[in-house]
Amino acid sequence: MRGFKTLLWLEYRRSRVWAAAFLGSLAFWFWGLNQVTVRDFAERAGIRVAIVGVAAAVGLVVLCFMIGRLRGETRHGQYQVLLLTPPSGYVHVLARAVFALAAGIVYYVILGGLLWWVAARAGIHPDAGSVLQLLLAGPFYGIGSVVLPFLSWTVLLMVFSSAFRLSGPSWIPGIVMVAGTPFLFRWISEGIVNVSYRLPAWSMFGGFTRLIEAAEMDIETEVVITSQGALVPQEPLWIMLALSVVMLAIAGRIWQEVEG
Amino acid sequence: MLAQLRGVTKRYVKTEGVRDLTLDIEEGQVLGVLGLNGSGKTTLLKLLAGLLFPTTGEVAVLGGPPRKNRSRLVFLGETDELYSWMTPTAGERFAAGLYEDFRPERYHELLDFLEVPRRKTKAMSRGERGRLRLALALSRDVKLYLLDEPLAGIDLLSRERILTSLVREWHTDATIVLSTHEVAEAEGLFERVVFLRDGRVALDARAEGLREEGRSVVETFREVLA
Repeated sequence: MRGFKTLLWLEYRRSRVWAAAFLGSLAFWFWGLNQVTVRDFAERAGIRVAIVGVAAAVGLVVLCFMIGRLRGETRHGQYQVLLLTPPSGYVHVLARAVFALAAGIVYYVILGGLLWWVAARAGIHPDAGSVLQLLLAGPFYGIGSVVLPFLSWTVLLMVFSSAFRLSGPSWIPGIVMVAGTPFLFRWISEGIVNVSYRLPAWSMFGGFTRLIEAAEMDIETEVVITSQGALVPQEPLWIMLALSVVMLAIAGRIWQEVEG
Repeated sequence: MLAQLRGVTKRYVKTEGVRDLTLDIEEGQVLGVLGLNGSGKTTLLKLLAGLLFPTTGEVAVLGGPPRKNRSRLVFLGETDELYSWMTPTAGERFAAGLYEDFRPERYHELLDFLEVPRRKTKAMSRGERGRLRLALALSRDVKLYLLDEPLAGIDLLSRERILTSLVREWHTDATIVLSTHEVAEAEGLFERVVFLRDGRVALDARAEGLREEGRSVVETFREVLA
């Protein structure tokens, strides 16, 4: 635990400028939301929701870059120092993931808050349960099923490329790994779609949809949106959480075996 | 025996770092690993540290695989591996948080003795960074210190301070394995010298024995490796 705390501090020191810029970018998105002056009520709300969606996607990319700076440490020799420290590779990898995840949680919870603000500006004032879903359940579902797997994949990719330097014969698995990523995600997505909704689905944002219906807003609803809200399948969350744990464990194992 | 290498070969993609190397390292000695560029000095130290694994042969340090005993040895690499944002205070927090054998009081003494400025490493000269790295390394209480070219690229005064601190901090139950090109300056420090050529031991001798024969380590270096 002593080592973990120090490694977490090291992550903070290494990445605090990134993390500050990452969280500071929320001010930019908030400014962007304020710039939407379309007269149509529903269209304005739709554009604002889309901006929040873009902020979520950009945030994921920034987080991946933040956590993926291990390559620089390999070049500059810090990786050698880290390899010889007492904590195991699993602890090193965990510290990296935990710091990025913590930054991600703050970011996405605030994005949930921005959505709440967008809803409030559109005259939608949901009950406490719906607000909690927007601020916590929604962000955590998204983090568990999308953000964490991407972060874990980035950590694995970086540890792998740092371990084998992608030189000589290691180019082959390196290229296979990078080139195979889109296919892997496609297979995982298809697999998840096939197994989704076998377990009871979670209903989210019911309060919002009821309010939207009551306001007779002309918003195109997707199939999964019902008057009870969005029926969110459990399976993607559990599958992606499990995959994330597996990827982090493999990264930790590679770290144990790597040469410096 | 503190460390042993038995028939160790380390092969890279196209070259061999060391070849069929057998070496015993005893407790409580200062061992100089000397050789020309590419002779296998860094490979040998990295094998002892557990940063490299042998292609063939066996390496044992403190009775086990080096990587398993990594918390009980110090390796100071030749690369300037400190984070640019790191200050001596941050370095202390890093080392104290990870190593139970880190001695803060010794660290502060060494910082003063080595005249390490209290600023970020990116604002330090190469010599100052080298002295900070050495202070961090020598502040740990371990049995094996592996120092790879700690004097490389460092000015004369800093080199003298580093060598003096090595003499000051060396305690009889600890072993220092030091690789350096500054043979003349470090000569007085060595008890034993191992000359490497093309990854093999060209000569393994007691420094005192060489002196009794009327030869200095520098002269022997020229004779053996020329």
